[in-house]
Amino acid sequence: MSKKHPEEEAPLREHSYDGIQEYDHKLPNWWLYTLYGAIVYFVVDWGLYYKTDWFDTDQEKVVAEIEAIAAKRDKALADTLATLDDKSLVHTWATDGAVVARGEAIYNQVCVGCHAADMTATMVAGDQKIPLPGLSLVDGEWKYGATPLDIFKIINDGTPAESTGHNGARMQPWGQTYSAKQVAELTAYIISKNPTDFTAY
Amino acid sequence: MTITYDNKTPRQFMIASLIWGLVAMLVGIIAASQLSWWQANGKFLETLTFGLFKGDGVEYITFGRLRPLHTNAAIFAFVGNMMFAGIYYSTQRLCKCRTASDLLSKIHFWGWQLIILGAAITLPLGLTQSKEYAELIWPLDIAVALIWVVFGWNFFWTLAKRNEPSLYVALWFYIATIITVAMLYIVNNLQIPTSLTHSYSIFGGLQDALVQWWYGHNAVAFFLTTPILGIMYYFLPKAANRPVYSYRLSIVHFWSLVFIYIWAGPHHLLNTALPRWLQMLGMLFSLMLWAPSWGGMLNGLLTLRTGWAQLRTDPVIKFFAVGVTFYGMATFEGPLLAIRAVNELSHYTDWTIGHVHAGTLGWNGMMAAGMFYWMAPRLWKSKLWSESWANMHFWIALVGILLYVGSMWTAGILQGLMLGELNEGGTGLKYQFVQTLQAINGDGDGNHVTIKSFFSLYAFRTYGGILYIAGFIMCAINIFMTVRGSEPAEDTIEVPETPAHDTLPVKKWFGSEFLLYVFCLIFFLTLAFFLPSHADKVAILLTFFFTWKMVVAFKKDNKSWSHYYDQLLENYLPFTFLTFIAVALGGVIQIIPSIIVNKDENIEGRLQELYTPLELAGRDTYIAEGCYNCHSQMIRTLKPDVMRYGRDGIASDYSHLGESLYDHPFQWGSKRTGPDLAREGGPQTEADPHVRIGKRDNLWHFNHFLNPRQTSPGSNMPAYPWLFEQKTDFKAIPGRIKAQVKVGVPFPPMDKHTIEQNAREQALAIAKTIEDTAYLPSRPDLSGPELTRYLSEQKIISLIAYIQKLGAYKEQTLEDGAKPKILDPDTQRTAAK
Repeated sequence: MSKKHPEEEAPLREHSYDGIQEYDHKLPNWWLYTLYGAIVYFVVDWGLYYKTDWFDTDQEKVVAEIEAIAAKRDKALADTLATLDDKSLVHTWATDGAVVARGEAIYNQVCVGCHAADMTATMVAGDQKIPLPGLSLVDGEWKYGATPLDIFKIINDGTPAESTGHNGARMQPWGQTYSAKQVAELTAYIISKNPTDFTAY
Repeated sequence: MTITYDNKTPRQFMIASLIWGLVAMLVGIIAASQLSWWQANGKFLETLTFGLFKGDGVEYITFGRLRPLHTNAAIFAFVGNMMFAGIYYSTQRLCKCRTASDLLSKIHFWGWQLIILGAAITLPLGLTQSKEYAELIWPLDIAVALIWVVFGWNFFWTLAKRNEPSLYVALWFYIATIITVAMLYIVNNLQIPTSLTHSYSIFGGLQDALVQWWYGHNAVAFFLTTPILGIMYYFLPKAANRPVYSYRLSIVHFWSLVFIYIWAGPHHLLNTALPRWLQMLGMLFSLMLWAPSWGGMLNGLLTLRTGWAQLRTDPVIKFFAVGVTFYGMATFEGPLLAIRAVNELSHYTDWTIGHVHAGTLGWNGMMAAGMFYWMAPRLWKSKLWSESWANMHFWIALVGILLYVGSMWTAGILQGLMLGELNEGGTGLKYQFVQTLQAINGDGDGNHVTIKSFFSLYAFRTYGGILYIAGFIMCAINIFMTVRGSEPAEDTIEVPETPAHDTLPVKKWFGSEFLLYVFCLIFFLTLAFFLPSHADKVAILLTFFFTWKMVVAFKKDNKSWSHYYDQLLENYLPFTFLTFIAVALGGVIQIIPSIIVNKDENIEGRLQELYTPLELAGRDTYIAEGCYNCHSQMIRTLKPDVMRYGRDGIASDYSHLGESLYDHPFQWGSKRTGPDLAREGGPQTEADPHVRIGKRDNLWHFNHFLNPRQTSPGSNMPAYPWLFEQKTDFKAIPGRIKAQVKVGVPFPPMDKHTIEQNAREQALAIAKTIEDTAYLPSRPDLSGPELTRYLSEQKIISLIAYIQKLGAYKEQTLEDGAKPKILDPDTQRTAAK
């Protein structure tokens, strides 16, 4: 059925297709082991997961992870708040150029869409000024409390649940995205842009 | 008897492939550059025309519409035509027989080109099903199915008429291609039309995701891989003039490849709401696929092993060798990406994009070029016009691929790492989504084109693409010069008067005891994985029993395996039947249990709220604009996903199965160029139940669609000014709801008038919320109630309505939620726990 090709150890099949011939080399061992290994892995992986209760489901795992992070965050917030008061926000944080610059960078990333770079919550369109979704942060009014810590809180927690928001717009809790320290930096930046509002502290 | 081969059909397909290949690559380059510079969506025309054209973009060439055009053109037009050229050329020679019918060949060729033309017109118009690589609207789907049948008919008829008794390995791969693509295409495109250009998938949510990726993955397998392997098995030994390395490797890798490939689809949905057992099958079969894929690479490369000198002298061999190497690289990377832990990082990022381009540019593109250079001088009486041009093409293309793939790998891994990085103290995420985008497209606020952006990872991807198309243009010129002025070649061959016939008595073969026991074995082996405890052990015992029976029956009827197989090769119908069984199994076992089990009953406690008529219309706009190309609606069961996209204070806020139960088609997405949108929506307001306010309010969305960079500095999303000028088609909504009811969405009975009325009321209510604050640059004359009335009619309001509804669900616990269900390993496991 088959004969040896002079330069090959493997048999060359007799049949030729449009001039194409085929050797019949053995399958490389390492190749076969890859295939067998993957099959064994299949059986073991499936068996271990479905026939034992050693492993948590993905859902159980992620809930535990998220809860751990939330606990960490609560603690970090409490720790930060313990060191933070109205006075320090105005006189220490808001006067530190580096802190304010970090706050400004965050502001320009995520706040400008609703409050505008100049904090007026308006933008120029055509030949007029039109309102943006947020509240003005430079009009001397602080709808949700006028102390520096109130401002920290509104940024951290977002629009309070009981409020209907501004024209229906509700701010998201930025404490979910930013650390307590970053929220304090953002607060410091806002305070620094409103020098006359916080002279009482 | 002398017969003449039909060389005209391969000639036509080859030229079509060259032309469409250029189109596909050009569209790809435009789409790629849009991710670096959003202005490439048409805004740049303002500069080009010195202000004659005014606007923030052209709707027909936004990324969301171009990307489907690019993928469809690359797959079906470029590789499709190339594959047909190779199949028509080689099948005739391997069968020693002219293609059965010139008429069918002609219908196939022209029908296919018309379909491509149809796609090139409809996709930019926003007419799409939104299922990846299956975007074509239903009339085109039917045309594809019909033309595919014509192709298959012509092919199998040729096999029946063959003068060569035995089937060569290339033909095995063609057989697998033809039957599998038909199966995948038809099932994934089952849909209920609502008009000549629009339809809804009969599958919804999880099932649609599963069927789509069963199709999507195997479009890669059976459209971009198996036919090209067949082509490799013919053209590579021909060009090298050397025997194929190993016949038995061909057998083992062919059967393991076609059987295993089908199962791997769910690896596109790892860590999503897809049930764990399907994710495990997707991952584990992908790992098993590594060896079969490399079998093809080995057989290709080892065929060349003693002829490496040809690499220096023959450009054709150069292209083939590198093509096969890229095949090996991509099929190593595939299983790697299919590991759930790796996929955590890579999924939704550019790593995947880099991976598929290693396959298409490296494997398909290089194999195509090698085949063209080999075929052109043989299809015309000519000599290749310039070998040095072919060599130049080779090197330019190679550098292009490396730039492309390298930058995409880096971009994907970088973005994946950044998205998961925790801040100092580990209490939250370090980066905003847009910052991870800026890291790879190098842009500042996105308003202006910066110098830095020209040195970004995204820019280098575009440069890679430009190099690749430059090489391909050289190829087209080379082929053009080769055939210019030369006569078409006519090849003839002497064949015996009586053609070879199938030798097995088909009926007896199908009724053989051996085959029966094979099926019993497969059946019980499958059940062993799906039955609850103890029943599974019975299934395993039965598996062993039937294995023994099978071996006994085989020994009784057959001399040896090789004899059995040699016989099979002389009988194309039994061969085709076995191939069909091998490819059908995976789909049947994955899809049927999910249809039986995972409907209504398995919603993980959350049941999607139905869309209102207006929201449904908005959803259709979302689909038409191709938003799913950049935005997912799927929060994976992963820490960074839940932290970034889940709601504050809800630890289990990953996407649950029931949240998208009624989504026909599903919108889970496959790539995040922008953030996930699964929790974008929100509750109804107390003031007006027509209005919902989610994560952002209506004015934010209004401003965002006018100028994404105003609300999100650094965004590369195009502006959508036309949504503010085009009307929502209120009249079409009743028909669409009717179709949704047909596919199983439980809308309450409503008459046409009520539906339209309801949609208009909701639109007015939403427009009213921004009456005093919205400013429409294109209509500065409008304000107050006039503006509200105008806006309520436009697509923007229905789209906002849809976005504010995203993720809305009702809590719902099922009484038997924890009960083990047959065929569902996950509920069995939970119940056992």
